[in-house]
Amino acid sequence: MTVRLVDGETLRLEGDCPIEDAETLLAHMLASPGVTVDWRACEWAHTAVIQVLLASGAPLRGPPAGAFLRERIEPLLVRITDGIMAFPKGGRMP
Amino acid sequence: MNEFMEQFLIESRELVEGATGDFLALEETPGDRERLDSVFRAVHTLKGAAGIMDFDAMGRALHAVEDVLSAVRAGASPVTSRLVDDGLHALDRVTAWLDVMEATGEPPPDAGAAADAIVARFAAPSAVEPPPRDPPPGEPSGAWLDGLLARHPAQAGAARLALRYAPDPGCFFGGDDPLSLVAGLPGILAVEVEPATPWPALDLLDPFACNLVIRVLLQAGEEEIAGLLEPARGQVEIRALRRPGSGPALPAPLRELLEAQILLLAEPTAEGAAGRIASAGRVAANVLRHAGCASEADALDRATTESLTTGNPARLTAAIAHARDGMPPPGADRSAEAPAAPVPDPEPWPGARMPQEIGARALRVDAERIDALVTLAGELTVAKNALAHAVGLAREGTDPAALAVLLRDQHAGLDRLVGELQRAVLNIRVLPLGHVFNRFPRLVREISAGLGKSVRLVVEGEATEADKAVVEALFEPLLHGVRNALDHGIEPASERRALGKAAVATIRLRAAREGEGVLVEVEDDGRGIDAAAIRAVAAGRGLLPPHVLAALTDEQAIDLAFAPGFSTAAAVTDLSGRGVGMDAVRRAVERMGGRVGIESRPGRGATLRMTLPFTLMLTRVMTVEAGGQVFGIPLDTVVETLRLPRDRIVPVGAGRAFVLRDRTVPLVSLAEALGGAADEADRPETSVVIVNLCGQPGGLAVERLGLQMEVMLKPVDGLLADVPAIAGTTLLGDGRVLIVLDVQELLE
Repeated sequence: MTVRLVDGETLRLEGDCPIEDAETLLAHMLASPGVTVDWRACEWAHTAVIQVLLASGAPLRGPPAGAFLRERIEPLLVRITDGIMAFPKGGRMP
Repeated sequence: MNEFMEQFLIESRELVEGATGDFLALEETPGDRERLDSVFRAVHTLKGAAGIMDFDAMGRALHAVEDVLSAVRAGASPVTSRLVDDGLHALDRVTAWLDVMEATGEPPPDAGAAADAIVARFAAPSAVEPPPRDPPPGEPSGAWLDGLLARHPAQAGAARLALRYAPDPGCFFGGDDPLSLVAGLPGILAVEVEPATPWPALDLLDPFACNLVIRVLLQAGEEEIAGLLEPARGQVEIRALRRPGSGPALPAPLRELLEAQILLLAEPTAEGAAGRIASAGRVAANVLRHAGCASEADALDRATTESLTTGNPARLTAAIAHARDGMPPPGADRSAEAPAAPVPDPEPWPGARMPQEIGARALRVDAERIDALVTLAGELTVAKNALAHAVGLAREGTDPAALAVLLRDQHAGLDRLVGELQRAVLNIRVLPLGHVFNRFPRLVREISAGLGKSVRLVVEGEATEADKAVVEALFEPLLHGVRNALDHGIEPASERRALGKAAVATIRLRAAREGEGVLVEVEDDGRGIDAAAIRAVAAGRGLLPPHVLAALTDEQAIDLAFAPGFSTAAAVTDLSGRGVGMDAVRRAVERMGGRVGIESRPGRGATLRMTLPFTLMLTRVMTVEAGGQVFGIPLDTVVETLRLPRDRIVPVGAGRAFVLRDRTVPLVSLAEALGGAADEADRPETSVVIVNLCGQPGGLAVERLGLQMEVMLKPVDGLLADVPAIAGTTLLGDGRVLIVLDVQELLE
């Protein structure tokens, strides 16, 4: 599994998270609200997974392993979850 | 039809074929300079040929295509898939015209309207710039761009393109991963992802409905992202950006050119107004493109179209004047960069033709091969003269024994020459398999688009040669094979991704010489063939009794896919799956004297493998007599011959059968099958030819078995063409006509 609940309050995303993970992720979030998502080992996540992260506003533990996620996606989530205008970080190529 | 016209048709068809291949290759690699030059040359030559034939409409249409290609060559506009589509459609139209010319000897009288449609299509800026076809709803057009630039002031300066990508809510089901598409774009400066509609409560969120809008600032130019956004066609709005005030002022000579166009338009005569508008618009647009102002040029093109439609040059004059003064064209601010009104088509574009009959109408033969024939003709004349000498000797009463020696030598010489002649003539008919392979890139492109699968076609060994008849007869079985691979073999992109396979599937068409024959393969990297599913279907259809099915190896079970009326597809699609495909493949290949089989690698793909004879011309036949007449049976269908005592023949139902090596073999009287009377009743033994019918033995009762010989089979044509069961005819040594039977057809 690329998404799993590790200690009852942390969901871990690992490797390439396929579209199916979106449903699993959402189910876990609904089951245990306030859960933290640790995506430090996440290389890539399908748009549907990112969408769940965006919609839920769940706290994140990062940065993720994948360059595009780290440079382009994480700032969006941080901005939304923490209300910080951290984006954009500069013009580096992904 | 005069020779001139004939030549025009031959060359034009070749050029169309070449240009089609180039367009398809350009779609794959938009930066391929060689292909671009090649397609430009082909279109240019076609245009010239049309001019020579006084076929004005074709010339006009191709001129429009040439103009756009020329802009692409100059780097002023990118190769887009829209351009490829339009180019292919234009070539289809040209082919339709050529067909009419071939049939009637005249250019089609109604070509003007179709040519105008092509001209309009290519004059519209959409031909070179992918337009936002359906501007994504939700935000007023243009407003998002200002917001995006304002939020990223640091990046806005370097940005050349801005994208607004609103994926379809259901796009995930199509296997799309919009962010993955975005991540693949070059030169990303900034990315924004926001909900398209406000997020619902988490427990009401549908994780598989895409509710996102993605906005991107790119450093890359349009030509760099050409094709990359193809999967999101219709969902992306692309805006080219140019920093205000940084536009280069036009050099003086170019300004003068623009001035000249305004003067041209100002001429008062109504006569030829349309021509002047078109010409002035084109020159002005080219000037702007030359100066690197592609978007202004496109705006000008729109003004040209508008002026042409209204017949009033005012709009164009104003646009040129604005361009000359370095101002944005009137009404061509951002909000007007929305697509121009579509130019109405006087008639629908012709679809890609699915040619059923692809006979090459003319053969291009290597001069060397003709030279070899001329040499042979000379040697044959020498041999003929030598024969005349022998005739003279015979008349003079030369010793028969000496004469026999002389004649034998001459016969040997003639034998060699005739053999060489035969080979040389067959060589003329040799074509590279590329002739048939070339049709597939286009077909695969269209079929895969229809199925929503992305597929890459790889062609290998297209230079492998075979007889024209073999190459031409290959189209149908190859088409079935490719359709089957696309339809049944290749998984949808989402499934492929889940399996860890490349999302873009690969189909390979491969040809190679193999001994005396030619090996042709269709290979896909799809799911392979499920032997268990085939067994289940075969059992369901009652093709074979259950215990026989159970005893089959997986390979034998897969071979059942070739059985008539077999299909594993649950649903009948409009492509294959009617359960006739593989049956038709086997029929077509076996008719050519070839063999066909499938190799399946479960989960990794399947290969349809056809082994074909190099030539269809020489056939080994065996002669038999039935109903008092001699017939030939192709030797490759004959398994063995035997004499069968009458008492071993037993009636089975309405037919007869006998037991051969513990197997029951049905027996058919050839004379009866041909509509005559069975007449072997009074003899104690019957001669039987055991033939192979789709892997099953069958017995043909004949009156007498004859010789084996190698014959040049002439296909039957004219009135006899529709007579079933005749494979062809040939002349026997004594002048009689030998009819060679198609046993398969005969016994059905």
